[in-house]
Amino acid sequence: MKSLASLSLWRIIILILPLVSLGQTFEYGWPDNYDKPPQCVDIPVDLRLCQGVGYHQMLLPNLLEHESMAEVKQQAGSWVPLLHKNCDPGTQLLLCSLFAPVCMERPIYPCRRLCENVRDGCSPIMAAFGFPWPHILTCDKFPQDDMCINTPNDTSTSEPNGHPPVCPPCDNEMKMDVILDHMCASEFAIKTKIQEVKRENMDRKVTLQKKKRTIKMGTLKKKDLKKLTLYLKNGADCPCTQLDNTRNTYLIMGRKVDKQYLLTGIHKWDKSNREFKKTMKKLKSHKCPAYENVFK
Amino acid sequence: MPTVSSVTLTGRLLLLLLWAAHLAMATNWLSLARLSRSRPVSGAEPCGRLRGLSPGQVGVCRARGEVMESVRKASEMVIEECQHQFRNRRWNCSTTPRGINVFGRVMNQGTREAAFVHALSSAAVAVAVTRGCSRGELERCGCDRKVRGVSPEGFQWSGCSDNLSYGVAFSQTFVDEPERAKGMSSGRPLMNIHNNEAGRKAILHNMQVECKCHGVSGSCELRTCWKVMPPFRRVGAVLKERFDGATEVRLTRVGSRTALLPRDPQVKPPATRDLVYLAPSPDFCRLDPDNGIPGTAGRRCNGTSRLAPDGCELLCCGPGFRAGRAEVVQRCSCKFSWCCSVRCQQCKNTVLIHTCRE
Repeated sequence: MKSLASLSLWRIIILILPLVSLGQTFEYGWPDNYDKPPQCVDIPVDLRLCQGVGYHQMLLPNLLEHESMAEVKQQAGSWVPLLHKNCDPGTQLLLCSLFAPVCMERPIYPCRRLCENVRDGCSPIMAAFGFPWPHILTCDKFPQDDMCINTPNDTSTSEPNGHPPVCPPCDNEMKMDVILDHMCASEFAIKTKIQEVKRENMDRKVTLQKKKRTIKMGTLKKKDLKKLTLYLKNGADCPCTQLDNTRNTYLIMGRKVDKQYLLTGIHKWDKSNREFKKTMKKLKSHKCPAYENVFK
Repeated sequence: MPTVSSVTLTGRLLLLLLWAAHLAMATNWLSLARLSRSRPVSGAEPCGRLRGLSPGQVGVCRARGEVMESVRKASEMVIEECQHQFRNRRWNCSTTPRGINVFGRVMNQGTREAAFVHALSSAAVAVAVTRGCSRGELERCGCDRKVRGVSPEGFQWSGCSDNLSYGVAFSQTFVDEPERAKGMSSGRPLMNIHNNEAGRKAILHNMQVECKCHGVSGSCELRTCWKVMPPFRRVGAVLKERFDGATEVRLTRVGSRTALLPRDPQVKPPATRDLVYLAPSPDFCRLDPDNGIPGTAGRRCNGTSRLAPDGCELLCCGPGFRAGRAEVVQRCSCKFSWCCSVRCQQCKNTVLIHTCRE
C-alpha cells in the first residue's frame, strides 16, 4: 500500500497567462529600461501622417523611441510626401504602426511581409529623391508570426501591377497640401526656366536658365545658385512632360545629396491655376516643422 | 550597595545591546520597500520615524527630502533584481516576514551574499537618483550638460545624457554613511564600502550611447547621441558575475593602516570592481528562521540537469527530491486582429515538475 501510494501521480492545473513564444526570435514586451511607461493618447489632428489609419489612439513614446508628441510630428512630417505617391497600399499602415502604434498591453509591431511590400514598392521612389530605405524601417527586425500588424485585406499572392513607369518628382499632384509637403521636404525651391535637358547615364541632367528667383533658399548659396544644375535621379527614360517644355516657367524644388543637386519637384508656374495661386499665397505664411526645436 | 552595582551593570548591558543593534543597520534602509505607498519618506518628523535609517541617513533624509522617493524606489529595485538574479540558487533573496532586516542576518555575517546585496543596493540608489534627474523629477539636478558638441565619430552630442555623477555622489553619501559611522579600521565597514563602490563601478563601466536618426525620412544625416545608464537588469547580471568570482579577504595591517587582502596569498588583491567577502556562507539547506534562511524544502528544481545551480541534487542538497506531473494551461497561437485586439487559444500541456522533498 505504501509503495503504491508513492507511485501515484498527482495533477495540478496551473493557468499561466503570459504569452508563450517558443522558437521566436522576436522579443515581446517593453524593453527593460527606465523611461516612463508608454501612455495611451489621442492621435492629434495635426499628425497628418496617421489621419484615417483606422484607430484613434496611440502609444507615446512610440516604437521609434520618439518621446514627445512634438518629436513624433516633426519626424512624421517628412514621410507625408511618400503617402501622396501611393506606392503601396500598406504605406500608411506600416509607418503609423511605428510612429503612432496602437494602444495594447504590449507593443504590436508591423509584420515583416507588410514592411517588405512597402519597401519594395516605395524604395525606388525614395531613391529618386535621394533617400535610402532608412535603418529605422529595416524589415528583418519585424515579426513573422500572427502577433503583428498586416493590411486587413492581405492578399498573400501579390500580383505585379502593370503601372506605367513614373517620374516621382514630376507626377506630383497640383494640390496645395502636396506641394507644401514637398516644399518642406526639399531643401530649396526656385522659380526659373529650363535651358537644357540631357541624358547622363541613368539620370537626366537639367540645366537651368540664368535668371532665377529663390522661393526657399535653404542651404543653397548664391554662387551655387548661379550655375545650378539639377539631376533627375534614375529618371533617364521616365515620362516628364515638364522637362519636355522649355518655354514655360517652373517652380523647381531640390535638395543636395553628396555633391549633386537632385530634383525633388517641378510644377508649372501657372498663375491662371487657382490651386497654384492659392499655394503660392499660403507659402508666405507656411511654417515647416523645424528639427532644432525637438532637441534642446 | 549590591543594588547599586546591579543597576549599573544592567545599564551597561543595555548600552551594549543598543550598540549591537546599531551595527546591524547597514542595509536596513531596504525596509523602505515595505512601507505603504501613502507613507511619506521626507519631512523632519516622518524621517525620524523611519526605523530602517541610521542616524546619519535620517539627517540626509531631512536635508535632501526630495531625493528620498528615489531611495524608496531603489529599495524595491534591489529586492526585485536580487530575486531575479538568484532565482535558481539555494539562497534566492527571500525576504523575512517582517522587520527592518529585509534579507535576514545573512546580511550581517560578511558573506558573499552580503557583498552582492551591498553592491546592488548602492548601484540601485545611484540608478534611481540619476533616473529622477533625467526625468526632471529632482530639481537640483538635470541632464549632464557637459556632454556636448560633435563626437570624433561625427554625430552630435545632444539630448539628455544621464547625470550619473550626481547619482553616484548621492549614493556615496547615503549608502556609505552607516559604514563610515562605524569607523574605517574594522573589517566589516571596509568590506561594505568596497562592495558599495564596486556596485557603482558596475554602472560606470557599462554606460551606453543611444542615438536617434532624425533627418528627413528617418535618414541618419542628422544623428543625435547621448549617454545612458545600462538597464538595471544588466547591472544585476554584471554584479552576479562578480559575485561568482568574489574574493575572500581578511583584515591585514599594512604599515600604520589596515587593508583587506586575500586570505589566500596566492590570489591577487581584488580590483575596485571586484566583490569581496570576509566569511564563508552557510549552505542554505535547512530552515533556519533565526538567520532568515528558509531552506530549499519545497523548492522547484531542474530535474534534467545535474550541473546547473538549480539542478535537483545541488539545489536540494542531496537526493531528496521527487517528480510530479502537472497540467499547465497556457495561452498560445495568439493573433492580432484588426483593429485592435489580441486573441489567444488555451493550450493544455502536461509537464514534469521536480521539487525538493519537505
